[in-house]
Amino acid sequence: MLAVSTNPDMAGGLENMSEIFLLNSGSTIDEGRLAKGGSKLTEDYTEECAVCDMNPDDYLEMGSPEKVLVTSGDGKHSVAVYAYPTDAMSRGHVFMPRAIWSNVVVDPETFSTGSPLYKGSPVRIEPTEEPVQNACDLVVLLFPRRK
Amino acid sequence: MANIATVKDIICPVCGASCDDIQVELGQGEITVKNACKMGNAKFQEIVSSHRIREPQIRQNGAFRAAAWDEAINRTAEILAGARRPLLFMGSETSCEAMEVGLHLAEFLGAAVDSNSTVCHGPTAMGIQEAGRVGATAGQSKSRSDLAVYWGSNPLESMPRHMSRYAVYPRGYWTRRGRFDRTVICVDPRKSITAENADLHIQLKPNSDYELLSALLTLLHGKTPHYSVEDVTGVSIAEMQAMLKMMKECNFGAIYVGLGIASSYGKHRNAELAFNLVKELNSYTKFVIGALRGHCNVAGFNQIASYLYGFPFGLDFARGYPRYNPGEYTAVDLLREKDVDAAFILSADLVSHFPAACSEYLAQIPVACIDIAPCPTTMLSDVVLPGVIDAMECDGTFYRLDDVPVYFQPFTSSPFSFTTSNEDTMLQIFEKVKELRK
Repeated sequence: MLAVSTNPDMAGGLENMSEIFLLNSGSTIDEGRLAKGGSKLTEDYTEECAVCDMNPDDYLEMGSPEKVLVTSGDGKHSVAVYAYPTDAMSRGHVFMPRAIWSNVVVDPETFSTGSPLYKGSPVRIEPTEEPVQNACDLVVLLFPRRK
Repeated sequence: MANIATVKDIICPVCGASCDDIQVELGQGEITVKNACKMGNAKFQEIVSSHRIREPQIRQNGAFRAAAWDEAINRTAEILAGARRPLLFMGSETSCEAMEVGLHLAEFLGAAVDSNSTVCHGPTAMGIQEAGRVGATAGQSKSRSDLAVYWGSNPLESMPRHMSRYAVYPRGYWTRRGRFDRTVICVDPRKSITAENADLHIQLKPNSDYELLSALLTLLHGKTPHYSVEDVTGVSIAEMQAMLKMMKECNFGAIYVGLGIASSYGKHRNAELAFNLVKELNSYTKFVIGALRGHCNVAGFNQIASYLYGFPFGLDFARGYPRYNPGEYTAVDLLREKDVDAAFILSADLVSHFPAACSEYLAQIPVACIDIAPCPTTMLSDVVLPGVIDAMECDGTFYRLDDVPVYFQPFTSSPFSFTTSNEDTMLQIFEKVKELRK
């Protein structure tokens, strides 16, 4: 785990620490329930999937933020999600349910297999006050349709 | 719901388990489902849901408007026939019959055609091509297996009935006491609920599957791996030895690999090594390996593409004959590299499940899709055709996670007058494309 930037203007510093984590995305039962039930554009889906599970010590070091900004390894894409501490995660690793929020920051490189790095993608994480977008708003914001 | 007959033995069209014991009671505007898991029940409720897409939609001046069926079919055909290099994406929650039409349509158009199987277990299929696979049907594992190894998989959340129907809890012919006759190992960087319910949890570091598999093979060969493997994998050699002892001493072991192997660094080389480990374990006991196929008929595309055109996924017909080169003709790579100029998507939500670079490009090209409910992909499409729900509203064939074909029959019919199934819709599009390409 590598601390890559701190903001000296921020009191305490840790609140704005941005660090590199390994992102593991995968199924959760309620993500599956909502996706299969055609509820991807609902607030329930946002609450279930726009989340980032972190190790409690990492979470504490980051200042116990309500939300974090997850940025892809290449720095091109970011997404704000709710942060939760859980003992299920080891230090330096985070988990996000497989959904539009995690896939915004997944490394698109497939290493000549056709399958992106859904697990083990490096991401940058920092506390944020940005709003968590629902799937509908995220599509409009990130993928504007051609004129 | 009085006087409503219960229909039994319905196949669930949600995940690769293809559970065949679902019971439904379909009333006026409501459905009662028995035996299905949370995901399955949610999908069955779609048949009466208020958000079901029930009429075609066409994007005009930046907004959707309702369209006549023929107009939507024509527009879809125009998108495909007018493209120089279209991508056809066959989703997994539909029949092999619909996928087959898609493959033939791709051949006719000289298009690229791919499916969920690529981003799911595509690397696992490549591993099979490299190493071969010692496999078994789910029934064999249920009757015989006394050791289940979930490697990079979390079935309690991704395939909720796998443990209870096929692998851990059921009483098999040689495993009469069910769970008490079986041991469970879980290999996962996360303490998932499957890991919590396992007898041994090997908590490896992410992206270290290849190194752990290599170390297990080294131990199996009677050597001790270099101590640095403990730091690389986060697993002590003593833990590896304990795991290998359990594997060698079982009567019938079954490894169920998940995307932890296929989606992390190493990809098809992880899978190749896992298949080689299983081959060598057969010098000591009976051991098999199979993929936990998360989506319903994701195995089906691999099967029919292989027997129709020789390759399991990521086929390119640009030269009039099928070519296969993962990383070049596969959907994620084609979209990321902006190598296609139109897309047709059947029963899949690429915008949600592909990396952002792919979705950004999808927003720039003409897209037509077939789906049953609004989702990010329908939001970006130019044409949205209503989908028919396989196994509920039409018959057809799925391949289960163990590559066993399952014929499914519906308990009701298509709610639409204009199409009887997704296969029917695909055939209508194909006919129109042929007219346009005359």
